[in-house]
Amino acid sequence: MIKMKSISKFYPNGARALYDINLNIHKGEFVFLVGQSGAGKSTLIKLLYRDEIPTRGQVIVDSDNLIRLKEREIPLLRRKIGVIFQDFKLLQNMTVFENIAFAQQVVGKPKKEIENNTEVLLEVVGLSKKRDVYPDEISGGEQQRVCVARALANNPPILVADEPTGNLDQDTAWEIMEILSRVNKMGTTIIMATHALYIVEKMKKRVVTIDKGKIIDDRPEGANRFGI
Amino acid sequence: MEFNTFGFIFEQVFISLKRNVLLTLASVITMIISLSLLGCSMLFLANASFVAETFESQVEIAVFLQDYLSSEQVVDLQNKLEKIEGVASVTLTTKENAIKEFEESMGSKTLLEDLGGINPFPDKFTIQTTDAHLVQDIASKVSKVTGVEKVRYGQGVLEKLLQFTDWLRWVGLAIVVIFTIASFILIAFNIKTNVYSREKEIQIMRLVGASNSFIRWPFIIEGMFIGLIGAVIAMVIVGFTYTWLLGYVMSNLTFLPVVADQLFISKVLGAMLLSGIGIGVLASSISVRQFLRT
Repeated sequence: MIKMKSISKFYPNGARALYDINLNIHKGEFVFLVGQSGAGKSTLIKLLYRDEIPTRGQVIVDSDNLIRLKEREIPLLRRKIGVIFQDFKLLQNMTVFENIAFAQQVVGKPKKEIENNTEVLLEVVGLSKKRDVYPDEISGGEQQRVCVARALANNPPILVADEPTGNLDQDTAWEIMEILSRVNKMGTTIIMATHALYIVEKMKKRVVTIDKGKIIDDRPEGANRFGI
Repeated sequence: MEFNTFGFIFEQVFISLKRNVLLTLASVITMIISLSLLGCSMLFLANASFVAETFESQVEIAVFLQDYLSSEQVVDLQNKLEKIEGVASVTLTTKENAIKEFEESMGSKTLLEDLGGINPFPDKFTIQTTDAHLVQDIASKVSKVTGVEKVRYGQGVLEKLLQFTDWLRWVGLAIVVIFTIASFILIAFNIKTNVYSREKEIQIMRLVGASNSFIRWPFIIEGMFIGLIGAVIAMVIVGFTYTWLLGYVMSNLTFLPVVADQLFISKVLGAMLLSGIGIGVLASSISVRQFLRT
């Protein structure tokens, strides 16, 4: 599903964000990206939806070579990848329902389908009762759930999340993780960058550790922190 | 683009105009003020040049001829003068007509007799030029032609008049240029702010996979719409104000020449409409484009 071959990323100021990254992620996998702040997690995530281009190497997502992707093909790639952020990135002047519907309107879905689909998504993230409130009227956890629903709105085969629980307390974080687990079980490939080791340890999924731009550990699903 | 998408884009435009009602209002007001200034300055320029032209067209060269010329020689001379570059027309006032005119203006019928039958008036040509700036040149050329006794064109006054009319034209033009630039900048900045305030919206649209044209079109239509509304209101304001002003000047300040040509006024109003829509579209597409680069 996702292949990274000898990826290196340097910023114009010479800073090295990633160095010689090789990573294969299969369909349906749930992969945690861990590492300290500035290790390169966010950069790696951004490569996936082509918000960044690597300086060297190849990124292949769902058989698309992202390096060779034309400008006008980027939107099509992004419809295949749902993105969740630490700071939610919701539109404050739209209701919960409108925020989720918006993501579908921009890809040109018919109105009726959008309405039905949005109702279902609200059900999935448990926000049916808050459909007509604005983001600043709900808690951080609820806002993140809206963000998850929006990321799922166009049925993407891949979901990437950059510190989705970074702004949430532990209980709320687990609510989000439960939703993500369910989504993963339905077949969506998930890549999540996080600091929250308590989540990583408990979930027992594949864990890729990055340090100073290099992968220093790739632990398969089901193993504990000692790799057993 | 499918009709469905097309309809959605229009819906988006109205929703976003409604959502950003204050920004929209600010843009429309900016548009009204800028375009009104633009329209006023164009009308000012037109009137300034018209005043200048009217004053200049009253400048003539009077050419007095030597006394001994036969009527054939006079006709020859007239042909010669007409061939000088910049001469629009040459009218002859014979000495007989001149004294008649003078008699009439004096209210006397016996002037010629009183003078002992000697007509003191010479034959005279009145030359009109195509451009008042050529008067001096033409006058000096004419004075060198044989048969010409004297040339008069209001020496001294003409130079001052030309200085004034040139100044009037330049001021008019400067005002148009300044106001055009000012209104373009004002409107462009306003629309730019409008688009920038929605950077997050654009960012999210891109993240969820909206195509660039899908993001761009609502902004362009919005810019066009703001331009249209602003221009129409500005046209009404300028149109009515000018018509009212025209009526006032024509009845109270009759000495002042004004441009009352309906066709010209509608051209100015049309220019306002086109600039409004043009700047609206241009400013919004340029502003959006900055966010659509990767």
